[in-house]
Amino acid sequence: MTYDYIIIGAGVVGTAIARELMKYQVNALMVEKENDVCNHASLANSAIVHSGHDPKPGTLKAKLNVEGNNLYEKLENTLDLPLLKNGALMVAFSEEDNKTLKTYYNQAIENGVEGVALLNKEDALKREPNLNPKVTMVLDLPTTKVTYPWEVTLAFAENAIDNGLELKKSTEVKNIEKIDGLFIVTTTKGESFKTHSIINAAGAFTGKIAAMIEKNTPYTIKPRRGEYFVIDRHVKGFINHTLYPTPTALGKGVLIVPQVHGETLIGPNSVFQDDPENIDNTKSGLSYVRKESTKLCDSIPFNKVIRTFTGVRASSTYDDFYIKESDEVKGFIHVAGIDSPGLSAAPAIAEYVVNTIINAEQSFTKKTDFIEKRHGLKLFHQMTDEDKKEAFRVEPRHGNLICKCEKITEADIVHAVNSSVPGDTVKGIKKRSRAGAGLCQGGYCEHNVIHLIARELKKDVTKVEYYDKESYILQSETKVKK
Amino acid sequence: MNYDLIIIGGGAAGVAALKSAYDPNLKILLVERENRLGGILKQCIHNGFGVHHYKEELTGPEYAVRGIDAIKTLDVDILTDTTVIDVEKTNGTFTVRMSNTTDGDHLRTSKAVILSSGCYERTRGAIQLPGDRPSGIMPAGSAQRYLNMEGYLVGKKIFILGSGDIGLIMARRMTLEGAKVLGVAEIMPYSNGLTRNIVQCLHDFDIPLYLSHTISDIRGKSRLEGITISEVDETFQTIEGTEKHFDVDTLLLSVGLIPDINMFESLSFETSRKTNGAIVDQTYQTSVEGLFACGNALHVHDLVDFVTEESEKAGKSAKAFIMENHKKNKKLIDIEASDNIGYVLPQKLDMDQPFDEVELSFRATMKGDKGVFVIHQGDQEILTKKARFVMPAEMEKISLKKDLIDTTEPITIRFEVTQ
Repeated sequence: MTYDYIIIGAGVVGTAIARELMKYQVNALMVEKENDVCNHASLANSAIVHSGHDPKPGTLKAKLNVEGNNLYEKLENTLDLPLLKNGALMVAFSEEDNKTLKTYYNQAIENGVEGVALLNKEDALKREPNLNPKVTMVLDLPTTKVTYPWEVTLAFAENAIDNGLELKKSTEVKNIEKIDGLFIVTTTKGESFKTHSIINAAGAFTGKIAAMIEKNTPYTIKPRRGEYFVIDRHVKGFINHTLYPTPTALGKGVLIVPQVHGETLIGPNSVFQDDPENIDNTKSGLSYVRKESTKLCDSIPFNKVIRTFTGVRASSTYDDFYIKESDEVKGFIHVAGIDSPGLSAAPAIAEYVVNTIINAEQSFTKKTDFIEKRHGLKLFHQMTDEDKKEAFRVEPRHGNLICKCEKITEADIVHAVNSSVPGDTVKGIKKRSRAGAGLCQGGYCEHNVIHLIARELKKDVTKVEYYDKESYILQSETKVKK
Repeated sequence: MNYDLIIIGGGAAGVAALKSAYDPNLKILLVERENRLGGILKQCIHNGFGVHHYKEELTGPEYAVRGIDAIKTLDVDILTDTTVIDVEKTNGTFTVRMSNTTDGDHLRTSKAVILSSGCYERTRGAIQLPGDRPSGIMPAGSAQRYLNMEGYLVGKKIFILGSGDIGLIMARRMTLEGAKVLGVAEIMPYSNGLTRNIVQCLHDFDIPLYLSHTISDIRGKSRLEGITISEVDETFQTIEGTEKHFDVDTLLLSVGLIPDINMFESLSFETSRKTNGAIVDQTYQTSVEGLFACGNALHVHDLVDFVTEESEKAGKSAKAFIMENHKKNKKLIDIEASDNIGYVLPQKLDMDQPFDEVELSFRATMKGDKGVFVIHQGDQEILTKKARFVMPAEMEKISLKKDLIDTTEPITIRFEVTQ
């Protein structure tokens, strides 16, 4: 069979495009080299849906950011996405910062961001009492939101699958050829697939994928790391808005970002590196983030850190998102250089690719039976007492609490294992259900999660992975079974 | 009201509290999240328990059974496989939300609650270890559970960070099970474990202990491949040029235990930044009237014998609270840790309670061969006690007579090293 489209990469951009594309009668395959969707840049970032104040007016970033921000409001209900509508403040601490803030104020208005305002010190401290009292002025960006990037990506993927997308995980593209007008995509496992067109949404690997078929790719990917602290959700309310420092020549700076589940993220720094997959934490990176963040708030409870992580942005040498059909190879579409505000823009990127770049309406018939609505995993602890009673009656396994920090039940985990994009690793379950995302970081529930995955997938417990391929947790049995 | 008393947690603390709180006229419920009582003792299959309390050396499971045997004939309700999700208090009544597969998510009310929910292990994230994040890095207690309760070995070449007792015990246990333990690193210049464990678990098996060392790098893509340790200076910063590499598939963390009191989303009580547990008076009552705390859920103990002793007192106080018409006006005096003392328990003394003397439990923050503990009230030195071989890993105790306390000023305790 010949596909109409192969989409390479199951990050937030690839899955958003896939969902938009599945509104038409197309045969589409998505290939992802990792063993789950949303494993790299889409997973590990600040989780902000930016207002659109930051990109330069006239750029694709500015247009798609503002559009994307609006689309999240619609998708919140359609795709069951968590949104924290907490707004953001960009904070100035000097006369010079004040001037910069005013230019951002004008730029935000030019980009079409709604509700922006400049507030004086007094009003700023009223809005955010724990702000560093050295504040001189703030830019109020009320349309800024926070989402759960994992849930966004999963939602796009699940809805696309419900509408006919084929997803192949653990499938890494090794080579692309074009013969007689058709692309032949071969994988490291030796499979090969035929397709009319390719959408290259491989994040930090878009350059590598493009080089398989193009001689001169007009951009080079420059992976850029960012390190973060995660502060326990029990310390809520010390900061309520997303806080940006006033940007300097060095970049956007270190932010404080309240999360949808109550944690607070502190980060990121911004350091270029060659390896797109190096996500280690460094002492220097973390201490830089710590030092910088105290400029915004000098009472951050760093004694309540539950985790640190690193994300890698797929930045490029091109000074904007690079979303175009290849000049050399017809039918090969670049969706590259998607760094910040990539998550914010993702739904708008999808519409732009499908409506403008592909012009799907001209080539394909619109589906009449497109399933618009997607339902997320309904976690037991989020239900009303009435719904809990009914859910428990149907599934008594809801009475067995597995993760006590995040209050996740056995039935929640069973649902996560058996969903349309199954969670088959310990971290896969954590992404889907939040079991292990709390204070004890899985110390209490991990052994139960391993047993549940093994039971549901009829696997040996020693073959249950933590996350990456062959990242087994238990190595051997100590007792011989009779 | 469903119950007079609900006890949360059926480990050594909950079982001891139940025993002393029991009265034929009281309705008591004990809630345990696992399928049987005993708590963490169930997985501590080594010996060394009970020397103080039972005057004989027992394994963890044996110690647990002693306590359980003492309560099994009592007319109380015990719910296993039941997890407490939240506790609220309104108009003098506690509402405990709990969950199990028989009744689902449901509520039970009581006049008093004892929090004996134990502790959890500090994680890699909390101490912000640098490096990659592959599988094969876990708290030592988790590895102990996998090995002793479930029969799975988590790795073959092991390194251990932190010389807390669980880390030391696991160094021996993994060795006996055929794994190779390459070393234990401790950031402090002294071990944080009991001396007997250093000798019996490390020295006897030729496992090196690297004092003043910590992990400076972790490598591995999917499974752990190796770690680097570095020496640290007095400010705990790693010293360049002192790196040592070890090829290991497993890193066990024994870097501290934290009282597990996070089931409370609705009820808040005063907690101590030093113990991470509740602040209590000498009756083990927290800042919430009728809420008591004991065992590792209050502060982390070195010996289970002391958990039992403390929890019996807490159980007795809870019973007195329920049976006597309790006066609401308290006369609280603060008890504070001063120079060279990490923390002291209780943190409050209720002078309105009937008592002759109070036992203060505390830990030094330094190692000292010879010295003196000094208890002050205001400018007044009210008690001193000579001490030998003081170390943070071993809890100290002093009894303080009520008639020594003259004023309402805070009581402070400090440690002075003598030559």
